[in-house]
Amino acid sequence: MQMIKTDVIIIGGGATGCGIARDLALRGIPHYLIEKNDFAAGATGACHGLLHSGGRYVVNDPDAAAECICENRILRKIAQKCVEQTGGLFVRLPGDSKLFRDRFLKSCEEVGIPAEVLSPTRALDLVPTLNPVLEEAIKVPDCSIDPFRLCMLNAVSSRNTGGGILIHHKVIDIIKEKNRCVGVKIQEQFTSQIKEIRSRLIINASGAWGDLVARMGGSFVPMTLSKGSLVISNHRLTNLVINRLRPPSDGDIIVPNEAVCLAGTTSITVSDPDTIDVDPAEVDIIASEVESMIPAFGTTRLIRAYTGVRPLLKAETDDSRAISRGFRIIDHKNGMFSILGGKLTTYRLMAEKMTDTIIAEFGLKTSCKTAEVPLEGQEELSGYPLSKRLKNLDDIICECELVTRDDVERIINNIGTKYIGDIQHRTRLGMGPCQGGFCTYRALGIMQEMGRLTPSESMEVLTAFLQRRFKGIRPALWGDQLREEQLVEYIYLGLLSMEQKA
Amino acid sequence: MSIRSYDVVVIGGGMSGLMAAIRLSQNGKHVALISKGDPVCCLSTGCIDVYARSDNPMDGIRKLPESHPYHLVGEAQIQKAFENFIDIMFETGLPYFGDIRSNRKILTPLGSAKTTCFVPCTMLHAQTQSNGYMHVVSFQGLKDFYPSYITSRLKNTGFSVFDAGVPTTIGIATRFEDRPFLQNFIAWLKTLEIPDGKIAVPAVLGIDNPMSIIEEIESELDRKAFEIPTLPPSIPGLRLFRALKGVLQAKGGDVYWGKEIASVEKLDHQIEAVTLATSGRPSRVEGRAFILATGSFISGGLFALRGNTVRETVFDLPVYLPGPRDTWFHEDFFTAGHAIEQAGIQVDASFRPRQADIENLFVCGSILAFSEVMKYGCGHGLAIATGDAVADMCTRHIP
Repeated sequence: MQMIKTDVIIIGGGATGCGIARDLALRGIPHYLIEKNDFAAGATGACHGLLHSGGRYVVNDPDAAAECICENRILRKIAQKCVEQTGGLFVRLPGDSKLFRDRFLKSCEEVGIPAEVLSPTRALDLVPTLNPVLEEAIKVPDCSIDPFRLCMLNAVSSRNTGGGILIHHKVIDIIKEKNRCVGVKIQEQFTSQIKEIRSRLIINASGAWGDLVARMGGSFVPMTLSKGSLVISNHRLTNLVINRLRPPSDGDIIVPNEAVCLAGTTSITVSDPDTIDVDPAEVDIIASEVESMIPAFGTTRLIRAYTGVRPLLKAETDDSRAISRGFRIIDHKNGMFSILGGKLTTYRLMAEKMTDTIIAEFGLKTSCKTAEVPLEGQEELSGYPLSKRLKNLDDIICECELVTRDDVERIINNIGTKYIGDIQHRTRLGMGPCQGGFCTYRALGIMQEMGRLTPSESMEVLTAFLQRRFKGIRPALWGDQLREEQLVEYIYLGLLSMEQKA
Repeated sequence: MSIRSYDVVVIGGGMSGLMAAIRLSQNGKHVALISKGDPVCCLSTGCIDVYARSDNPMDGIRKLPESHPYHLVGEAQIQKAFENFIDIMFETGLPYFGDIRSNRKILTPLGSAKTTCFVPCTMLHAQTQSNGYMHVVSFQGLKDFYPSYITSRLKNTGFSVFDAGVPTTIGIATRFEDRPFLQNFIAWLKTLEIPDGKIAVPAVLGIDNPMSIIEEIESELDRKAFEIPTLPPSIPGLRLFRALKGVLQAKGGDVYWGKEIASVEKLDHQIEAVTLATSGRPSRVEGRAFILATGSFISGGLFALRGNTVRETVFDLPVYLPGPRDTWFHEDFFTAGHAIEQAGIQVDASFRPRQADIENLFVCGSILAFSEVMKYGCGHGLAIATGDAVADMCTRHIP
């Protein structure tokens, strides 16, 4: 068995884990990051990619809001290529509380969030799709952020300084000696090969899986798991983030993201992070709520629904909306620390505090640089710009997102993956209206031609992909998306005759 | 406004509409066929699945639930309908082969076996149950066909890649219509020194005369050759559709292509006419009887709205629904037959919609309630059988 030694093991490849890896890298601490899936596979990738201005929390949780605006400014500076500086509106519709609006403006001023009141006319100039009955809108510096790219770039810094990043590796056990956690046993997901890594400290940054990991180390973390579901529209209906000017509730945020919009969310307490599904009723709630802010949303094709689990701090209340979005570091006093709570916007701050704790533990004094040093590798991002994608139309594999055969081959060569999801995250393959209905068959054909997959592996991958894809599509199937789905069903079960269950 | 009158107006240009219109023409009726565009048929493999879940399709049909529309057609008429289809296709120069009592398994681009009943001439030798060597030929850059899917799953196979200069199925099929291109291709095949056995080619061997192309390849190479259906757009589907459309026109049927129906005129219990949306003046098409053959969701005959509602898109007929939206789909992609497949128009014994109070409207094809074409693998088969039956009902209705 392969044995590796390092100083710090980070469990979890979400924004927090990747952020800690980068912070450790910039402070010269050897480390390994272990992720059982791809980057951003948990709550990080399943959020709406909103870089909060703090407006959403400013009335009920001004401390969290202050953290948001501060981090918002930092990320716009250090992660330019991951952030689209869209700006955001808080829209007040007839019937929404005027009192809340006044408290919102007052709190923004106290916390230091720039807020500008716009008349309906000016708001409609900015976002013509807004419901014209709106009373007013308040403009704040909300932005759209790409969580996957953010994680990848944090990992780049870590790799550049010799950090080990192991994705598709699952922690199957935590090695203990004299009641102290001294390492992890990990399994490569595709080959099932087992490795051991020893370290001085272990950081549990596994989000919704935090308690499961802590228990492997002989401890626990008190947390509330809150499921939040979102839907993706086929069009970019707004160029600004749109929020409803009212206390946080279901379906009151819509965020532009490249060519589409992400709308959500819901908040439902769950017990198991591995068995969550979007309920069709959640899609209905989101669609009808968002429709009241942007009427066109009601007639726009929804291409998928997805859901993530917020790892919230355990609180007395049953209402998961009322639980603080703040974060906490827990010292289990056994060589393991857990970091939980928080949100994407404050991932860097969380990483900074966590790393400060480790540095102190090691008796060192290096200070954090992540707020000043821009993320490395941003200039290499292929990015979405259509101008780039239109350059080579010869060999398009994914027509929805204009991904070429070259793009696919490059990713396969660079990361040597056997996972179709890895290609999708890095190229946008299969992210369009057909949701990979056509291009997955092609991408797997290319992987086979390149000798990356055996025939039985490619069937397994294809089967798993189609199941996962259907899980996302199923709750939002009506209209044209239902038509498309019947075609995809015909292709795989009719034409290609993949094995059916009775 | 231009006005044209017909005995029967068929709405929908897919398999069921075409077969109904052709049968009516054969019965001596003056027919109009209206279609909003190329049908879903053009996306199909071109194979006729009659009932794919048993070895003998007729046995399977007998065991279908009572509500299935095949039972409205009856065995004798089902057989007659397929005999008629085979005769028609033979005359078009695109003959079909098969036996209503015995399914066959043909090779798919995934290397798996698809169960079907009637196949076009180019797939005559595509049966998977043979032991000899098979050589797969692919084309440079053709993104919908990867021979490794087949050669890595099946023993005793090999493949070669030909550069056709174009990467799409339609592009390559068009080039095969050029004699010099075909001769080049055959000359290249000869240089390969392929072991004895069969030659398998993705379905791109010409659009109009695949039969003569495949025969030439077979005689020059002295071995059997066949086509493998490809992902949509599919050439065998396109050929089938074009051939049937040609038959209808040759028999005197009028075809209104690329036209959507803007309005419907109804008087008492009769549909009198439909008006077509055209870019110029509106055009009114009158009929003594009407046939609705607009297909299910995929073809646009049915349209689902967000709130548990499904609309029939031409006449706004009452639609049978299996339940609210959260019951429409299984959680599993691979479990055959989502409940929503049962949605459609319920008809009486003469294929007239129930609870609609219209005497001269008949319904055929996959828009019929309980047809469940994916679950039973019976899409084109049900279209042919119900198209034929509805045409006869209609003929009796307007003596």
